[in-house]
Amino acid sequence: MKKIHLHLCTAGAVLLASLVTATAADSKLVVAMLPKSKGNAYFISCKVGADKAAKELGIQLLFDGPTDSNAAKQNEIVENWVTLGVDVIAVAAENKEGISTALRKAQKAGIKVLTFDADAMTDARSFFVNQATPEGIGHGLMDEAARLTNSEGEFAMIVASLTAANQREWQKHIEGRLKEKYPQMKLVAVRPCDDLKDKAQSEATALISANPKLKLIMAICSPGVPGAAEAVKQAGLTGKVKVMGLGLPNENKRYVHAGVTDSIILWNTGDLGYLAIYAGVALAKDELKKGANTFKAGSLGTFTIAGDNILLGKPFIFNKANIDQFDF
Amino acid sequence: MSASPGTRNPRDWKAILTRHEMLLLYVLIAEWLFFYFAGTTTNRRGVIVGFGTLDRQFDILRHSCEIGLLALALTPVIITAGIDLSVGSLLGLSAIIFGQLWHDAGLPIPLAVAFTLVLGALAGGLNALLITTLRLPPLIVTLGTYSLYRGLAEAITRGSVTYTNFPEGFLFVGQERWLGLPTQAWIFFAVAAAVWLLMHRTTFGRAFRAIGLSPEGARYAGLPVGRRVALVYVLAGLIAALAAIIYTARLGQAKADAGTGYELFAITAVVLGGTSIFGGTGSVHGTLLGVAAIAVLKNGLACLPVVMRMNAAEEMSGLLTGALLLLALTASVLPKILSNFRARHHAPAP
Repeated sequence: MKKIHLHLCTAGAVLLASLVTATAADSKLVVAMLPKSKGNAYFISCKVGADKAAKELGIQLLFDGPTDSNAAKQNEIVENWVTLGVDVIAVAAENKEGISTALRKAQKAGIKVLTFDADAMTDARSFFVNQATPEGIGHGLMDEAARLTNSEGEFAMIVASLTAANQREWQKHIEGRLKEKYPQMKLVAVRPCDDLKDKAQSEATALISANPKLKLIMAICSPGVPGAAEAVKQAGLTGKVKVMGLGLPNENKRYVHAGVTDSIILWNTGDLGYLAIYAGVALAKDELKKGANTFKAGSLGTFTIAGDNILLGKPFIFNKANIDQFDF
Repeated sequence: MSASPGTRNPRDWKAILTRHEMLLLYVLIAEWLFFYFAGTTTNRRGVIVGFGTLDRQFDILRHSCEIGLLALALTPVIITAGIDLSVGSLLGLSAIIFGQLWHDAGLPIPLAVAFTLVLGALAGGLNALLITTLRLPPLIVTLGTYSLYRGLAEAITRGSVTYTNFPEGFLFVGQERWLGLPTQAWIFFAVAAAVWLLMHRTTFGRAFRAIGLSPEGARYAGLPVGRRVALVYVLAGLIAALAAIIYTARLGQAKADAGTGYELFAITAVVLGGTSIFGGTGSVHGTLLGVAAIAVLKNGLACLPVVMRMNAAEEMSGLLTGALLLLALTASVLPKILSNFRARHHAPAP
C-alpha cells in the first residue's frame, strides 16, 4: 500500500515538474486560429493548410474553438488569448457583432487581428481573408459548365431560393459570364429547391422530362448537387445529362465516382488556412499593411487584395481525380 | 452554525477546519497557486502574460458572473430538495425579450431591464405554480419549461435574429470596470450577499432547510411549505433574468442560444459547494467556492502551455471539473463510510 502511494507521489511530482518546465518562454511568434467549431471537418481541413504554413514559417499555431458553434465561447477563447499575449488572432466569426467586442479588445492590447471564412465587423480586424467573391464563384461555375458541354447546348439551374441574396448575386455573375463568353449555350430554366435534397431531385426530374435536349444541370446550393445527381441516375441518363455545381466533396463523392456528377466547385479549404496564417504572420511582422494591393503567401504565390479583403481567388474544382483527398 | 459563538473548544476548530467548505477552500487555493506558478509566462515581447496577470483574474470574475448567478439562484432551490433545469433556457428567453423590448419596442434600457426582470420572475412563477399546486416533481416540471423557454426564444427570433448595437452605457455593465472591478462583479456580489442573508440570517433559510429535510415534517411544524417553495423558484427566475442582462451586456448581443447548458454548470457548482442534491443541507458560501473552483480550473487550464499545445483547454476543463466533482462527493461521504467500517470491526462478537 505504502509503495503504491510512493509511486503515485513520484508520478505526480514528475507531472508537475514537466508542466512547470514546459512554461519556459518560447520565443516563437504565436498565431491563434479560431474556427466556428473545431470538430467541423470543413475547419479541420483549413487547419491542415494552417499547420503547413506554421511549419514553413516556424511559428507556433494555436487552433482552438468551441466544440459546438457557440458565439459566447468564441468570445471567451479570444479573451483568453488576449491575456495569454498571443501575437496574432485569426477568426472565423460565428457571430459578427458578438465576436467584434472581443476582437476590439485584442486590438487594443496590441494583437493583430484578421478574419477568414466569415468576417467580423470591419473595424474589429485589419484584413478579411475572403475565400470566394460572388464574381469568382459565378465565373468559375459558368466556365466549368462550358468546359463540360463544349460551350454549346441547353442547361438548367437549381438554386436554393429565387430570393436569397447570395444566390441572386451568384446567378447574376453566372448569367453575365454566359452572355459575354458562351453565346452557343442557353439557360432554359432556373428552379428553386428550398435547400432540400428531395425537392432538388423532383425539380431535376421535372427539368429532364420538360427539356429533352438538356445537356447539363448546374446546382448552386449544396443539397442541390446530390439531389440533381440522384434524379439523373434514376432517369438512366448518367453521362448524357451532366451534373455539376457548388457543394461539399463528401456529399458528392458517391456520385462523382459513379460518373453521374462531373465536378464540384468550392474553394480549397487547405489553401484558405494556409493563406490566413501567412497573412497573419505578415501582419505581425509589419510586412502587410493597409492599402497593399497584393500579398505573397509562400508556395501559393501572389494574391490580390481588394480594399481590406485578401482574395483567395479562383474557386477549386473537385473531380474524380482529386475528390478523395478531401474530407469535409 | 451549530456551535454557539464565543467559547469554542479545540474539537470545534478541528470540525471547522475539516468542513466541506474549508476543504474546498484549500482546493481552490492549491489550484490558484499551481496555475499561478505553472501558467504565467513571459511572451516574446517581454510582457508577463497568462494566469498571473490582473487582467486574467478579472476575466475569471467576468466569465463567472452569469453561471455564478445561476448557481446562487439554484442553491435555495436545491436546499429545498428541488431542482430547476430551466434557468439556462430562461436566460436565453430573457435575453431575447430584453433585446426586443429595447430594439423593437423602443423602450429605454432601464425600463427594458425592469420588464425583463418581471418576466423572469413570472417564468419562475410558472415553475412554482406547477410544482406547488399540481404537486408535480420539480425535475419533470423544469425539464418541460427547459424546452419551453428555449423553444419560445427560438420561435420569437426564428433562430436567426440577433439583437446588437446596444448603447455604450449598457455595455459598460458587461465590458468595463467600475471602482477597480468588472462592473458586473458588483451586481454579482450584491446578489450573493442578499442570498447569503436570506439563507443564513433569516427564518426563510431555516424554512428552506426544513422543507428539504422533510416537507411533511415542515408542514406539521406549521410552515407554509407551498409559499416557501414558490418563493425559491420565483427567485430563481428573477436571478436568471438578471444573468441574461449581464450576459447580453458582456457579449453585446442577445441571441436565442444564450446560456445553453449553463444550468448544468450551475448545478455542478452548487453540488461541488457542498449542497446536498437531496436537500436540507448546503450553504451560499459553499456555492461561491464551488463557482470559483470551477472557474479557476477552467481559466487556469487554458493558460498551461501543455494544454495550449494540445489545443484541448475546453475538453480538459470538462474532464477535470467532472473529476473534481466526483472527488469532492467521494471525500464528503468517506468519513461516514470509514466510521461505519470501524464500527463493524470493533463490534463485539455475538
